[in-house]
Order: sequence, then C-alpha cells, then structure tokens
Amino acid sequence: MIQLDQVSKRFATPQGQTFTAVEPTSLQIGAGEIHGIIGFSGAGKSTLLRLINLLEVPSSGRVVVDGKELTALPKSELRTARRNIGMIFQHFNLLHNRTVAGNVAFALEVAGTPRAQINARVKECLEIVGLSDKTDSYPSRLSGGQKQRVAIARALASHPQILLCDEPTSALDPYTTRDILEVLADINARLGVTIVIVSHSMSVVRAICDTISVMDAGNIVERIDLADSVVTPVTEVARKLLDDVPTNVNVRRLNALRAAA
Amino acid sequence: MISEELLSIGPDLVVAIGQTFLMLSIALASALFIGGPLGVLLLLTGPGQTLDRPVLHRVLSVIVNLVRSFPFIILLVALVPFTRVIAGTTIGPLAAAVPLSFAAIPYFARLVEQSLREVPRGVIEAAHAMGASDMQIIWKVLILEARSGLVLAATVMSVSFLSYSAVAGVVGGGGIGDLAIRFGYYRFQTDVMVLTVAVLVVLVQIIQWAGSVLARRLDKR
Repeated sequence: MIQLDQVSKRFATPQGQTFTAVEPTSLQIGAGEIHGIIGFSGAGKSTLLRLINLLEVPSSGRVVVDGKELTALPKSELRTARRNIGMIFQHFNLLHNRTVAGNVAFALEVAGTPRAQINARVKECLEIVGLSDKTDSYPSRLSGGQKQRVAIARALASHPQILLCDEPTSALDPYTTRDILEVLADINARLGVTIVIVSHSMSVVRAICDTISVMDAGNIVERIDLADSVVTPVTEVARKLLDDVPTNVNVRRLNALRAAA
Repeated sequence: MISEELLSIGPDLVVAIGQTFLMLSIALASALFIGGPLGVLLLLTGPGQTLDRPVLHRVLSVIVNLVRSFPFIILLVALVPFTRVIAGTTIGPLAAAVPLSFAAIPYFARLVEQSLREVPRGVIEAAHAMGASDMQIIWKVLILEARSGLVLAATVMSVSFLSYSAVAGVVGGGGIGDLAIRFGYYRFQTDVMVLTVAVLVVLVQIIQWAGSVLARRLDKR
C-alpha cells in the first residue's frame, strides 16, 4: 500500500548548512497493516511520516502510495491523491472557528463532495469516533481526547485507505491515550484502513502495531515484528526504547544519590 | 445656552459628516478589496509559506513600506497630479478619497499580513494534508481562523483614517475636519471647534465599540 524507495530529506539551515533529517531510506507497508515508526526526538520519524503524503517533498527517492507514484504527480493530482491519505497530529490542528461538524465537513468541502451528501457523511464519521453528541460544539469546549476524535473523524471523512498519525497521543494522558488507540484499532479492523503511527513511546506502538520501524539519526535501524512471540531488539536504540527507562525511576532521588556519591 | 452661530452650523455639519463618511467608505473599500489581497499575498509569498516567492515578497514589502513612510499630508500633496487623473479634480471629498485610499491600501495590507500570521502553521498543514487548494486555504483556513483579528485590524484602520480624513480637509477635501478648520480655526469659533471634536469622539467610540463586539462574537477559540 505504501512504498518508500530510497527517500531522503535534507533541509537548509539558516546558517547556510544542510541538515539531513532522513537519510536515503526504503520502507514498505502492506494494506491493512498498522505500522509504528519509533525513535527518540530528532531521529527523523515525523519527517519520514510526512514524506508519505509529501507534506515534506523528498530530496531524493520515490513515494508510491496505492500504486500511484506521488513524487511524479503534478500539484493538482497530488491534491486529489492526498484525499486517499488521512492525517492526524499531536496538537490536533482543528479549525477553532468551526464547530465539530464544520471541521469534519471541511475535509469533504475540500474534496468537492456535493453539499447534500456532506451532512450524512459528517454524521457517519462522528458516529465512528463516538462524538455524535458534540456535533455543534466548538473545539475550545472539548477535552484533548475529544479533539483528537474530531481530528480522526475529519481524517476519515473522504474514505481514505491510509491514516497517518503524527504523535497522536503525545499530548494526552494515559487513559485518553488508551481510548484513542482503541478508536484507531477499531477503524483498522472495521474499515481496513492502513495506519502508520509515529511515536516515541514503545508502549503506544506495542499496544496497536503489527510491525515497527526503529529510527535513529535519520535511518531505520531495525524492523520489529510484534507477531513474534518474543521481541528481541538487536540495536542499542531499540533496546533503550523498549525499556521505557527514564520514567521508571524517581529522578529527584537519583540526583540525590548521585550528589551523595 | 447654544449660540445662534452654533445652530446655524447645523446644516453644514450634516453635510460634513456625510462627506467624511464618503471619504472613509471609499478609503476602507479600497483597503479591503486591494489591501486585503495584497496582505494575503505578502504573507503567502514570505519565507516558508505556501507560495514562498522571496523576490516578489521583498518587492511587495518594499513598496508597502515606501508608501507607509510618507507623512500623510505630504502624500496628499505629492499625489495631486494622480488625483486629478483619477477624480478629475483635486478638491472635494471624492478627490480626497484618492490619497486616502492610496495610504489605506498598504496600511491594511500590513495589518492583514500580521493577523493571518497568527494562524497556527499546523492548521494550515492539516488543510494541505487534506488536499486543500491554495484558494481554499486562504478562505476556509486563514481568513476563517483570523477573522476576529481581521475585524479588529479594520477597526483600528477606520479610526486612523477618520483622523486622516480630517487632514484631507485641510486641502479642500471637505468633511468634519474641513469644518473644524474653516469655522473653528480660521474664524475663531471655538464652539464649532468643540462641536466637531465631540462629533469625532462619538464616531470613534461607535466604531471601536462595534468592532470589538463583532470581533468577540466571531472568536470561538
């Protein structure tokens, strides 16, 4: 469903140097799969995700989605192709001056859906994410989890085959995180949507993914298949991520011990 | 006790208020329909924005700054030949509306650019991800999300140009400012002066109040 061929992304820094966020990388994700991209901050995982729908234009390489080479499409056709790829974000990115229904309708208006069909589809999408009672609320009235549900409904509105999730739970508490992951798993199971989810939390990707790419310094350094009964990470980065170490210790006590030593 | 002179100024005052509104309406309309799109273009051609045209951005920016550098009274005089071509005359409210519009367009363009800049980048990005066109992003994202800021910008501009229109009165533009100069200043009719200032104070209060209320009502953030 998604095929990245040796894609890379370089940025020009304000100082006139070039910074390579993603080294030439290849990745294939099958239809109906839930794939996780995990790594520490600055590993290039969000950039890699954004290369899939060309929010970042790759510096080299090819992006093929559902048999279409996005990197070869002119601007207008790329816009059409993007309707097949929904996306949600860490900070939800909703329109604050539109209601919940208005936000979902936006995606349909953009896709040129006839007015008469928009309302029915908005209703459907809000039912999928369990927000039918918030139709006329403005986003500022919603909790973080509800906002992310609206974002999911909006992303699903144009019947995409793919859903890209950029740190979808990083701004949410653990219970809400669980909630959102359940919604995503449900969408994958019921609608067969292929999901790619970027996270720095191993517990998040373990809860939902079939396969995981571990990223470090712009490269995919390891691919983990969670269908394996025992997951044995090979690289140092994967081991560190798998341990979820930093939050398991009391940092203040640790500092006190260090000071005493 | 209201003096007879002050009463006799009544009809003149009504005409003057009408002239002021005429000048202001033309200037604001030009600002809205020319300055507005110019402001959008200023933003979108900027570095890292949707269109990202550095040269065009720099040119537009320099032009906007250039016009805004002129003290209004100098602009008024400097534009006299241009005004004659456009309005066919250099006196009266219609003629005064020409330099007023000329000043209002870049003024509003900057205000629009600033207001639109407040729209979070992520929201624009989400629209791109949904396959929105540039026009859809301008209307349904940028202007929608910045609408209360835009209303406040237009309010600030209206108040500024109300007082600019009084300056235009000096060179025969008519309007409330002209009345204040002719009767209040040249003829030493202090009561007329006070009256015109009072009218301006009331107008400013009404404009600001209406703008604030509308902006608050439009803001759902």
